Amino acid sequence: MSIYRIILLVSFSILTINATWAQSEPDFAEAGQAAARRLRELIRIDTSNPPGNETKVAEYLKTILDAEGIEAEVLELEPGRGNLVARIRGNGKKKPVLLMGHTDVVGVDRDAWTVAPFEGLIRDGYLYGRGAADDKGGVATFLEVFLLIHRQIARQGAELDRDVIFLAEAGEEGTTQVGIDFLVEKHWDRIESEFALNEGGNTRVEDGKVKFVGVQTSEKVIRRLKLVARGSSGHGSIPRPDNAIARLSAAVAKLAAFQPPMRLNETTRMFFRTLAATSAAEDAFLFQHLADPEIGSLVEKTFRESERGDFLLYNSMLRSSIAPTIVEGGFRNNVIPPVAEATLDVRLLPGEDLDEFIAEVRRVIGDEAVEVEPLPAYRPAGLPSPLDSEMYRALDRAREAVFPDAITLPFMSTGGTDSAQLRSKGVKTYGVDPPASDEDAKGVHGNDERIWLDGLGPHVELVYRAVMEVARAR
Amino acid sequence: MLRRMLTVVVVGLIFVPVARGQQGPDFRAAGAEAVARLQELIRIDTANPPGNETDGAEFLQKVLEQDGIASEILEKEPRRGNLIARLKGNGSKKPILLMGHMDTVGVERDKWTVDPFAAEIKDGYLYGRGAIDDKIDVIAMLQVFLMVKRQGLTLDRDIIYLAEAGEEGGPPVGIDFLVEEHWEKIESEFALNEGGEIMLRDGKVNYVGVQTAEKVPNGLKLIARGTSGHGSAPRIDNPVVHLAAAVAKVGAYQPPMKLNETTRTFFERLATISSEEDAFLFRNLEDPVLGPLIEEKFRQARSGAYISYNSLLRNSISPNMIEGGFRVNVIPAEAEVTLDVRMLPGEDVEQLKAELRRVIDDEAVEVASYDWVQFPAAPATSLDTELFRALENAQAAVFPGTITLPTMTTGATDSAKVRAQGVQAYGVGTVRTDEDEARFHGNDERVWVEGVEKYLEFVYRAVVEVAAAQ
Repeated sequence: MSIYRIILLVSFSILTINATWAQSEPDFAEAGQAAARRLRELIRIDTSNPPGNETKVAEYLKTILDAEGIEAEVLELEPGRGNLVARIRGNGKKKPVLLMGHTDVVGVDRDAWTVAPFEGLIRDGYLYGRGAADDKGGVATFLEVFLLIHRQIARQGAELDRDVIFLAEAGEEGTTQVGIDFLVEKHWDRIESEFALNEGGNTRVEDGKVKFVGVQTSEKVIRRLKLVARGSSGHGSIPRPDNAIARLSAAVAKLAAFQPPMRLNETTRMFFRTLAATSAAEDAFLFQHLADPEIGSLVEKTFRESERGDFLLYNSMLRSSIAPTIVEGGFRNNVIPPVAEATLDVRLLPGEDLDEFIAEVRRVIGDEAVEVEPLPAYRPAGLPSPLDSEMYRALDRAREAVFPDAITLPFMSTGGTDSAQLRSKGVKTYGVDPPASDEDAKGVHGNDERIWLDGLGPHVELVYRAVMEVARAR
Repeated sequence: MLRRMLTVVVVGLIFVPVARGQQGPDFRAAGAEAVARLQELIRIDTANPPGNETDGAEFLQKVLEQDGIASEILEKEPRRGNLIARLKGNGSKKPILLMGHMDTVGVERDKWTVDPFAAEIKDGYLYGRGAIDDKIDVIAMLQVFLMVKRQGLTLDRDIIYLAEAGEEGGPPVGIDFLVEEHWEKIESEFALNEGGEIMLRDGKVNYVGVQTAEKVPNGLKLIARGTSGHGSAPRIDNPVVHLAAAVAKVGAYQPPMKLNETTRTFFERLATISSEEDAFLFRNLEDPVLGPLIEEKFRQARSGAYISYNSLLRNSISPNMIEGGFRVNVIPAEAEVTLDVRMLPGEDVEQLKAELRRVIDDEAVEVASYDWVQFPAAPATSLDTELFRALENAQAAVFPGTITLPTMTTGATDSAKVRAQGVQAYGVGTVRTDEDEARFHGNDERVWVEGVEKYLEFVYRAVVEVAAAQ
């Protein structure tokens, strides 16, 4: 107790000194602690989706913003599914920058948690709770950055060349129609921007140190396909040559043997180049020889057939991927069913044409009795955000200032985020997340989700520096 | 009123043959009596589940009482009665068992155009659930039993009548119960059961099918195991993929052709009543050059008889249920398929499993037994028996100019349970068309009224030939 008080006192005194020192920077350690306190409050508001109830969080955030004199509005498509938007005005010379995070969380399997998921327990330097990392940690840190910018302006009379918008959105976990889709369609004027920062990054901690700052600049396009094989029904005692299950199986087996071609883009090329520079010699060799005319295909095979999770991920980053995940057909063992179905989890590379891909899948299957149908797409296909942009460079410089021993690693994620909706509207969107270890990452959508408290201050600083660099009046 | 008149007529007819003493039975009258009784039995709903076969057994018990024949009802579970009666012979030969099952499958009422339990007669057909499967046999065997009794014949062997419960699936309240707990009540040398047919094509009897063998239902399961993971990063040990590859191989795999006494005779005799083209196929199945082509022709057939011949020729495998995965973005740890396997009599399923392991050639895929049915590996019944010859003689007498066709069915009947005990069981059945056959377990099930009399005569002659004192 006394130690905590001492830290508070020390922090307070530093803050006081800073305030008197006109051109000073904010106290990021204090900002990190403030973010942690607010994150704790956010975790205590259960916004498991379904049902969501994000308005409760939006109202909490609004109270904080009101207290700082920042106007905020809560926008709802459906009752209780509120999105909060607030704006710090700039001089309008440039288009805005958007800081966004989502306030809903996935549900919990309570029995599998060893701590209460909605209490915000702090233990051994970690804050535990559903949403700690995904994505209330993002919301709390972006809010902190937003407040710091607001205070800096108020205190120093500084000017911004562009508006900074803060968005805490609802419904990211499976119901984007009440969140980002609603905002893009009905309130685009409120969030229209040149740049955006969102979740989806990967700032990796190893042995208590940040090793790299992974900036998500692109993501694969999730498109689910359904295979429907048809045959004639009959009695199981008399096998039929057009058995739907046998046909479906042959189709799935052919698809599994089929590898869509490797295609590198700006992000993945830079990703592997950067990774090679910091990897052990054996791994570096692989990263450097992906496009090698003689052994490239062997490198690809090494990734594809690996037991290593990172290599499997790299395999998926290299190509449009197909994973058959569900098969179903039949209802009684003595009845040949007329239909059997498989669902494929397909992740296209950005820029890939779905219709052409489906045509290729049909060609590989080569059986007209097997239909290939796309399931409804959940997110639009966004193009990669460039590495050669003001924001990316600002992030890289901020990383240099905050984590000088780490590297900036641009990457394409194999999963989807709401950045896709923004990118499809032309917003250059980058994913940056608070620092986390491999172990911490397991809690996302899992059990005992947590966030590393010591990482919050530096993360706030990194984001603050990057945003100020692109937004500060020049 | 009309009903009462009919009853009077029927009763009158019954006494005619008896009055005539040693003259043969009046099959016309017996047919009418049987049809009337079949109507009554259909009106007793014994759809299984729940069965309630005791309702049917009690009805049969009263009928037997009228002819002074004692019977007993044996229940393993309440209301699941089996009825047994016996006509004593002099014991010089072992008994013959006449059996049928009283339970029926259920009905989808809205798909029937007639009341399935009203037993309506329309355009020469008697309609109702169980009309052909298998209340006709319950009644026909009963009628033959009564005819033998009324004829006052001296018998070399006992004739046992059995109306059993629980044939259409569910707990073992029927034949299994009797075999295990009351074997002495039904032990016999020969048995006649459902499973055959007198096939009517183009208005004429085409052949008399006698079931002498049936394939043995078996279940196998292929279980593929791998590592669960996220759908965004494909894995080479994805169990859905391994399973698919295995099923694709099994689907393409054709177990070797093996003919037995029944199927060899079947194709030989079938050739004599077939078109020239078909006869050529049936006669050249074992030809080293043509055989494989003919097998493929059967295998690739989409419908009709050929496709069932394919199953007669070999152990058959049909993948009928596949399941794996629960969320589109999660690669599951396991996926499985169940195979409906029908073994030829005398074949070893363990050998087939070993063969499938070789075909699949993937250690990630387990080939396991799947006990969805419990059928003993029953041997085929011999064609070289007194009863088979008697059936052939009966066919020649009642349906001259046609043939007796020994058949192996791809589906299973309770004959398997008695064959496994060493009983020479034969499947017979009443006169029917392909259209009637298609209504088995289906809608508007029916039996051709005019054929019943001929069916009775056929069975009666065969039974008397093997049972009457020589």
